[in-house]
Amino acid sequence: MQTSNTNTQLPVDKRPKLKRSIIDCDIHQATGLDAIKPYLPRAYQELVKQYGPALPGGMHFNGGVGGRMADAYPEDGGNAGSDLELMQKQHLDRYNVEYGILTGEGYAVHAIPNYDYAAAMCRAINEYTIEHWLSQDSRLRGSVFISKQAPYLAAQEINRVGGRSDMVQVVVSSGSSIPYGNRHYDPIYEACVRHNLPFTIHVGLEGEGINSPHTGAGYVAHYIEQRCARPAVMGAHLASFIFDGVFERFPTLKVVLQEAGVLWLAPFLWKLDQEWKGLRVQTPWVRKKPSEYFRDHVRVTTQPFEETPNRQIFDHLLESIYAKETLMFCSDYPHWDYDSPSQALPKLEPELWDSIYYQNAAKLYGLPPRKTEETK
Amino acid sequence: MKQSSQHIVGTVGEIPPGTHKIVEVGGRSVGIYNINGVFHALRNICPHQGAELCKGIVSAYVTSDGPGDFQFDREGEIVRCPWHQWEFDIPTGCMITDAVMRTKTYDVTVEKFGVSIDNDLILIHM
Repeated sequence: MQTSNTNTQLPVDKRPKLKRSIIDCDIHQATGLDAIKPYLPRAYQELVKQYGPALPGGMHFNGGVGGRMADAYPEDGGNAGSDLELMQKQHLDRYNVEYGILTGEGYAVHAIPNYDYAAAMCRAINEYTIEHWLSQDSRLRGSVFISKQAPYLAAQEINRVGGRSDMVQVVVSSGSSIPYGNRHYDPIYEACVRHNLPFTIHVGLEGEGINSPHTGAGYVAHYIEQRCARPAVMGAHLASFIFDGVFERFPTLKVVLQEAGVLWLAPFLWKLDQEWKGLRVQTPWVRKKPSEYFRDHVRVTTQPFEETPNRQIFDHLLESIYAKETLMFCSDYPHWDYDSPSQALPKLEPELWDSIYYQNAAKLYGLPPRKTEETK
Repeated sequence: MKQSSQHIVGTVGEIPPGTHKIVEVGGRSVGIYNINGVFHALRNICPHQGAELCKGIVSAYVTSDGPGDFQFDREGEIVRCPWHQWEFDIPTGCMITDAVMRTKTYDVTVEKFGVSIDNDLILIHM
């Protein structure tokens, strides 16, 4: 019981709030232009200096302070998520995070029409993350940024850094111009499979730059509407993966759905299965129930988790999305709608808690067991 | 135990290969299908929502080697319910995507009486 001994020696406010460590699948280190500029090629450094960043985004007022928790800004200035020490104190140490998956910022790269600039930005974000974050704290793992609008260049970047043991997935925005099941993206999935990297779709940049509008009904006026429309966008990607046969073409590919909510998936999966019964002949390459592809290939992260009217509904929906295999905790630190690792979800029975807060992510990302439990 | 009964539902000549006929037998509506000279009897009720299953399109079992590829096997052995296009295997009555969902089938025999095959009688056993 080495851990609890250590804990009792720490002052109350320094003790981790969780007895067993967790894996957090969505932590945003700041990778804005200010941070990554030195890693851009000279041409783009000069252009940005002379003309500005030439990036889309910011169509809506975001939440919190600049989209972040108001208390996540370092005292000496700088952006939230820019200071590793504060992240450690406020989140990693406090909540006993064994591994944290960094998902970065600056998803505007996924919305710009200049493919070379997008690819250069992605390279810069990846280099900055490796040097300033992954090498500084052994708990952290990285996400490969790619220019998803240019799959050929994206695959090059995955091949460049995807073999590193500290890079554990590829990340793109949910905002897109073509749904992610389209064969257009095959070079990306070939590279993901080659390096055994999950393909993570993180919400953002819908309706910005080259991406399609926030909803099929068109552009929405307010951020709250965009947030509430996100399940529809994510659902479109999920259906596209299944019915365009991506999982038949790439049987080992794993996909993570991030930050569009969770429980909406229950009726969505029911609908996919139901519609498939009558429309199977139009896509006969789909060989099993859509929900089975979901269980085999798709993982979902928790934040922002829907509040249910009562516990019974919560339990039923969790079962309906096969949470024991598919759900992985994430906090979204330091963004304004952060989910506390100790209080965002209702109390869970220990085995389910362990699956959601550790084992499902450990399995997906190939992360080792808890250090404190290794020898048990 | 319930006694099984047999019913004459027509002659072979009335239901050539690739066709079917809906008949009323013992108060039940039944579809008699001739698939390559072999007769099958399927209860004319879809287990989903009660539609007249045997009024649906008869087609093949559609398979695929991968996205964009369509192949047609077992021509004439699949009926698609007229209401929601659920597919059923005519010989077994089982739904294609979920075999537990099924409609009843009956044994069919052909009794040879006549001077020609066309006059042979189709019997179903209930």
